[in-house]
Amino acid sequence: MNKPISPAISAARSPGLRIRPARIALGVMVIFLLFPLTKNDYWVVNLTQLMVYGIFAMSLSLVWGYGGILCFGHAVYFGMGAYIYTLIVKGMLPGFTGILGTGIMALITAISGVALFAAVIGYFLFYGRLSGPYLGIVTLAMAVIAERIAVDWYYIGGYNGLFSIPPFSIGGYQFIDPLALFYLVLSAAIAVYLLLTHVVKSPFGIILRAIRDNEPRAESFGYNSARHKIITFVIGAAVAALSGVLFAVVTEFVSPTLIGFSLSTEVLIWVALGGKEVILAAFLGALAVRALEAWLSELMAYYWLLFLGIFFVIAVIYFPRGIFGSWLADRYEHRIKGRS
Amino acid sequence: MGSLLETKSLTKKFGGLTAVDHVNLTLEKGELRCILGPNGCGKSTLFNLITGVYTPTAGHVFFEGEDITGKPVHIIGRMGIGRKFQVPGIFDQLTVFDNIRVPFFRDQRRSLFFQPRRESGIDDRIMALLEKISLVDKANLPAVHLAHGEKQWLEIGMVLARRPRLMLLDEPTAGMTVTETRKTAQLIRDISSEEKITILVIEHDIGFVREIASRITVLYKGAVFKEGSYEDIQSDESVRRIYLGRSG
Repeated sequence: MNKPISPAISAARSPGLRIRPARIALGVMVIFLLFPLTKNDYWVVNLTQLMVYGIFAMSLSLVWGYGGILCFGHAVYFGMGAYIYTLIVKGMLPGFTGILGTGIMALITAISGVALFAAVIGYFLFYGRLSGPYLGIVTLAMAVIAERIAVDWYYIGGYNGLFSIPPFSIGGYQFIDPLALFYLVLSAAIAVYLLLTHVVKSPFGIILRAIRDNEPRAESFGYNSARHKIITFVIGAAVAALSGVLFAVVTEFVSPTLIGFSLSTEVLIWVALGGKEVILAAFLGALAVRALEAWLSELMAYYWLLFLGIFFVIAVIYFPRGIFGSWLADRYEHRIKGRS
Repeated sequence: MGSLLETKSLTKKFGGLTAVDHVNLTLEKGELRCILGPNGCGKSTLFNLITGVYTPTAGHVFFEGEDITGKPVHIIGRMGIGRKFQVPGIFDQLTVFDNIRVPFFRDQRRSLFFQPRRESGIDDRIMALLEKISLVDKANLPAVHLAHGEKQWLEIGMVLARRPRLMLLDEPTAGMTVTETRKTAQLIRDISSEEKITILVIEHDIGFVREIASRITVLYKGAVFKEGSYEDIQSDESVRRIYLGRSG
């Protein structure tokens, strides 16, 4: 017990969860940055879209993995972001003309609109003390309602959605070239990764995980758990909205499937398989599952769903913390054993 | 010396069951008090009423003269009442170090989205606390990997980190070995004498109660049954009877 205090502190202050993934993240970032050098145009376009899903998955990792909020309607924020952006840039939202109608302003409006919506929903959910399955059911209902509205609302395209969205532009530069779009989405992904990593490492993030692990305990220390959850919900929704906007930018169309139940559950699967407690793992999970889906469906026509299902079962049994999450967590525990 | 905590005919009914029945309890500043009683006598309900988890059916709770009846849990927590739960209330997935950091963030002036300033000296205070509860070597371990007794100490350390004026300990030695129990009693005595924190402990391990040698309140069927020193209580025939369950 009479050890000098400072080494113990430095040991305590450098948990492996922080250092190792930072290095891996850097490696992943470099690979993505250099990927276009392969001149594989098909995969550049493909990866651009996969990264959009990756950003979406990262937002759910914050809400579900760190906040412990099992949300079955996360796609509502994704879809709302996509629709709001599209309606503005297509000049279909009255009042949004001139400077307000530009791509950047549409992006900002979409994100803040969705964040505001999430704040209102979150207020009722969390001050109403909903959690666990009840929260799941309410958010699921939200997703179903949102999809119905999108399908039945003729003005926003109804079942067919909206097409031919004009390209995103900043200061006169139009993002049409696939490579430009690739780097646009990649920089958004990096920015989101850095933002969310900062949030989860901050005292706020630690308190958030504390609330997830033991809410009464955290509250008795004087933390307002509802407030922390609402803030988390809003950050998650804003990032999901950003990914929705990017989806509209990249694919140039929006449809009711973006806002509904099926995408909401799909993103849960990506994040669960990747590893919900590690931001980077969620990102990689989305990419891996989507890529696997594409590959399997090409390979075996109708049977691919069966194989995907088997893969899910195996992954859940052998990697309960996610394929990439377990891998990162394993390294973390080995390091601890090595130290003591 | 004014009283720190006072309950006035505090009552809680669950349907037809009266869990806490007109309890009048007064705790002086700096006091170390044990609440003793058989299972189901309303000890934990009493804590839940004091900390705001439940709203009483009747009666009031005063903390430093202020009526805190029915205030929300986090507000009462902020006023300086720290509670150790019966089941170790720790944050499983966080490291032992981070577990102790959580209560400290409460005092942070700058936004919680930024790390505390280096000069705040929080790290040294955390290490001092870890030393007190003998967990320095396990600072990096996720708390879920601790032994049961260590989890109890960790939670005591977390509550202590808030520097509460009143500490409520709900069965701090439940599931502990004899050695661990003795060590815990020592820890609680130290906290009481060194930190001058008023402590209210729920226990039904009579050995532990003897160790901390405090004033004892016996609860029975939700009501105060007897109050006195260890010797008074130990020699009391009626207390023995309710404990051994003879003609309750």
